[in-house]
Amino acid sequence: MPEFEAVIGLETHIQLNTTTKIFCGCKADSWGDPPNTNICPVCSGLPGVLPVLNRAVVEKAVLLAEAMNADVQTDSYFDRKNYFYPDLPKGYQITQNDQPIALGGYMDLPMEGYTRHVRITKLHMEEDAGKTKHDYGRRMVDFNRCGVPLIEMVTAPDLRSADEVAAYLIRLRQLLRWLDVSEADMEKGHLRADANVSIRVKGSTELNEKTEIKNVNSIESLRSAVEKEIQRQIKEVEAGNEIEAWTLDWDEDTQSLSKMRSKETMADYRYFKEPDLLVVHLDEAWKAQILAETPELPLARRERFITEYGLPEYDADILTSERSLSDYFEAANRAYGGDVKRVSNWLMNDVLRLLNEQGLEAKDLKLTPAYLAEIIKLVDANTVNTPTGKALLEKVQQSGKSPAEIVEAEGLAQVSDTGLIREIAAKIVAENPESVAKYRGGKESLIGWFVGQVMRESRGKADPNMAREVLKELLDH
Amino acid sequence: MELCDLSAYELAALIRKREVSAVEALDSALNRIRLVDGRPGTVDAGEITAEDQQTVHAFITLTEDLARAQAEAVDKKLSQGEIPGPLAGVPYTAKDIFNVKGTRSTAGSKILANYTAPYTATPVARMEKAGGVLLGKVNLDEFTHGSSSESSAFQPASRNPWDTSKVPGGSSGGSTAAVAAGMGQLSIGTDTGGSIRQPAAFCGVVGLKPTYGRVSRYGLIAFGSSLDCPGPVARNVRDAAMMLNAIAGPDLQDSTAVTVPVPDYTAALEAGVKGMRIGLSPDFFKIQYFDHETGEISEEPISDEIKLAVEQAADRLSEMGARIVENVPMPHTKYGIPTYFVISRVEVSSNLHRFDGVKYGHRTPHGVEDLSELYRRTRAEGFGAQPKLRILMGMYVSAAQYSEQYYQRALKVRSLIRGDFDAIYDPQGEYRLDALLTPTTPTPAFGFGDVYGDTVLMQYADQFTVTGNHAGVPGLSMMGGLSSDRLPLGIQLLGRDYDEATLLRIGRAFEVATEDAPWRKEKPQVLQGL
Amino acid sequence: MSEEITREIFDKIVELAALELEEDEAEYIRRQLNDQLTAISELEAVPLDEDTPPAAHGVPYPPEISAPARRDEHAPFKNPDEILGVAPEEDERYFITPDIPHEDLG
Repeated sequence: MPEFEAVIGLETHIQLNTTTKIFCGCKADSWGDPPNTNICPVCSGLPGVLPVLNRAVVEKAVLLAEAMNADVQTDSYFDRKNYFYPDLPKGYQITQNDQPIALGGYMDLPMEGYTRHVRITKLHMEEDAGKTKHDYGRRMVDFNRCGVPLIEMVTAPDLRSADEVAAYLIRLRQLLRWLDVSEADMEKGHLRADANVSIRVKGSTELNEKTEIKNVNSIESLRSAVEKEIQRQIKEVEAGNEIEAWTLDWDEDTQSLSKMRSKETMADYRYFKEPDLLVVHLDEAWKAQILAETPELPLARRERFITEYGLPEYDADILTSERSLSDYFEAANRAYGGDVKRVSNWLMNDVLRLLNEQGLEAKDLKLTPAYLAEIIKLVDANTVNTPTGKALLEKVQQSGKSPAEIVEAEGLAQVSDTGLIREIAAKIVAENPESVAKYRGGKESLIGWFVGQVMRESRGKADPNMAREVLKELLDH
Repeated sequence: MELCDLSAYELAALIRKREVSAVEALDSALNRIRLVDGRPGTVDAGEITAEDQQTVHAFITLTEDLARAQAEAVDKKLSQGEIPGPLAGVPYTAKDIFNVKGTRSTAGSKILANYTAPYTATPVARMEKAGGVLLGKVNLDEFTHGSSSESSAFQPASRNPWDTSKVPGGSSGGSTAAVAAGMGQLSIGTDTGGSIRQPAAFCGVVGLKPTYGRVSRYGLIAFGSSLDCPGPVARNVRDAAMMLNAIAGPDLQDSTAVTVPVPDYTAALEAGVKGMRIGLSPDFFKIQYFDHETGEISEEPISDEIKLAVEQAADRLSEMGARIVENVPMPHTKYGIPTYFVISRVEVSSNLHRFDGVKYGHRTPHGVEDLSELYRRTRAEGFGAQPKLRILMGMYVSAAQYSEQYYQRALKVRSLIRGDFDAIYDPQGEYRLDALLTPTTPTPAFGFGDVYGDTVLMQYADQFTVTGNHAGVPGLSMMGGLSSDRLPLGIQLLGRDYDEATLLRIGRAFEVATEDAPWRKEKPQVLQGL
Repeated sequence: MSEEITREIFDKIVELAALELEEDEAEYIRRQLNDQLTAISELEAVPLDEDTPPAAHGVPYPPEISAPARRDEHAPFKNPDEILGVAPEEDERYFITPDIPHEDLG
């Protein structure tokens, strides 16, 4: 039997996180709103209305296009795509067909041990349709979502496995959030992805009949759906059957694919230029203004963390998973000015836990990068011990006060006064004759217990190393 | 003279001086409506009686309560010493293609017969702001699809006040008939291929198609979106200028409305035409004619009376100091209608997609099996023959396999038509025109039923007006004489982009020059004996 | 007389247009369409340069007179219920239509 490889292209729809819809002043986000409350004459397609383009949609599209290495066009146009469907109140969708905002583009997708070059074949702005649902032989239509701004972005058939599909979507989601162009939540439909899947004999360059997987609403589910479809196709081909161009519907409950009703005729959308909108003219000044806000991109930053800071890939991945965390790390690193890995460890172990527990993003922390750096320095200088340092993270986050202020107010500075520690140690030794006897009888591991008692008595402030030395001196005497 | 026969300018001045009240002006207009309009158009009119054939039928909906409230508000403002808008108290009508919040907005179609608009079109809102008093919504060809107003689903259709056996022209036939017969001093019409200018010519009033984008289209139920222009219908040039002052200008709701500053169009009206260069083109003195026998298009001269009216207008303007430039070539004029048959149809077939019985308007009362049957039956019952024809032509010429041959080609020919205008207005060019003087129509008003049904012949009624829509340039139509049958003859001035002021100034000069012409003294048939 | 739009083509565009026509209406409209196509065919005689641009609008729209794009500011419509209010059929705030048939393919 020959070995097969999968050939997969993804068609994604990205809901932009603008304040308003693409062509009217209604809110873009209707999550949780009752049906048909977030509508106006324009998005509900009343007779006589006209669309007016939202500036922010163009700006976000340009940011994304640049980040995808696409060629942003100075002049682009909107077109009408004509068809009848109850979720489309005008009977046409305003989209970009032959002269879109950007051409080309690609993403170099880092995989375990190799990089996958994924080309973009389509990137344009368009409006979303409404939502319909079945209800006992009738269809109920809600226009709240009509006119929500979308970017449609389609890849070439460059992905070769279900893992690559998942990796691409994870990287895309990361990028969309990084650029603040979309919330990119697949469960909420902010990011939708349909996969075109075919297989071929490994090494061959032909493109075979493909199936299209639709209605999957999480990256993990899409990974399973694609994997299942690849296996099914291999089985069919090995059994000598032909692959037919089906559209497949994913059922989340049963985790299975089923065939959707095939289209009887090829639709003719009769695209033509939308006469109600002018050319989208992106002059140099506007473009420069948009791109002035472009941050370093996650994959570039990840690469830099590895090469410049010498961080392990694992650290670099986590520290670039999300922009505000990454910016936080950079800022803390600058403020600290020492061992990068040390900052990385504090961040990955303790700050991340804080973020997860409190459901926060790094940019929302009262524990600023400068405060984090200060705490690490306090520990480095033995001003506080490590447990106190870690406790300080939470205290700073709770109060918003500076670490120095808290150390001062709560008297948390490490006690390195030998006299005081000796006094406490002597007291502990005097109060615990049994333990002393055991220790002296050879159970030297009890030293840790004695140190703990001193720490407790000093309310954590004693320098534990010094306490150990003093105790040893007293006990071994 | 009745208040309703005064010009908007005179009436507004009297009201402002509180010599008459806005309510009195309204009552005068309402009284005229009662005398000459007959029954309003309805979708279940039954037989058109001999009596129906004597009256104008401009209206579909009379908004008497709204008008009274607006007139009373104007009077109240004046009594409190407030300065009202420039059109305060002037009664006007709106073609029933404009949405007006809380009123029926039918487009002359069964599919919107019971539709009450939840918002107001920008031009109407601006008339309101200027103090206008809305008498009601007037009749039109269904969805503006025609040149005679006969295709309205609301019958009896509007009739020509000069001769009620003739059509008022279209599609703004209700607007021009109302203004000609004293039912409101002004009306807002729309012009996609000539729908303001052609009926203005047939009814002997002033009709101005502004430059595309000069007046917002927001709230105008679209026909050909790249061609549609709302504009004034008035009894004289000054009134049209005042109305354009009120409605022109950029609009946050219409991306195609330009930000070019709006001048005061009345400022230079009396400045005359001395030194202006006004062109005459032989391409506007012949018509294309579709011969059903041979199935071919042939060329014929236009009616002698109309040709004479244009030549005489040129003479009057020449006497006033304008330089008449003859033999100006406009070689693509004859392609105006074929191009229009393609572009307007593609746009309208898309624009009419939204009428599907789901959101508003007519929905088939018959049981249907599924959604697709609901669409088909609703649209079959709701649309008349004209919209159906135009939808189907639009579908055909924009279908993927024909689009290159028809639609893309038509868009290129449109560039050439625009090029004709660019060349004659070019300040460095051979002609350097300020305006082109042409007939508005090839013939005066035709009889009911004479053309209706022959959609090619009907469309060719727009052949001198349609190129202005393709090119986007402004056009003014005004009365230039009367035919031997006592029907108005229309002359048209076409101008440069956003230079409506020049057209109005020339038009005003022509009014001055013909003040004493015998035809100026004539009144429409329906007003005789009142 | 042009017969370019045959009955077969005609029936197809009628379906695409979501219309249905009585027989006499269909024949009248088809004849008119073919007459109009005769007029449209005049365009074939127009010599066109390769670089004749298609004109989506007649007037040019240079940036200095074009309306700027809208600012991303929330401006809600006051009466969404009035939009719902003109619906031929409404229930629980939804527009209601008959269902779209779908095959169960198991």
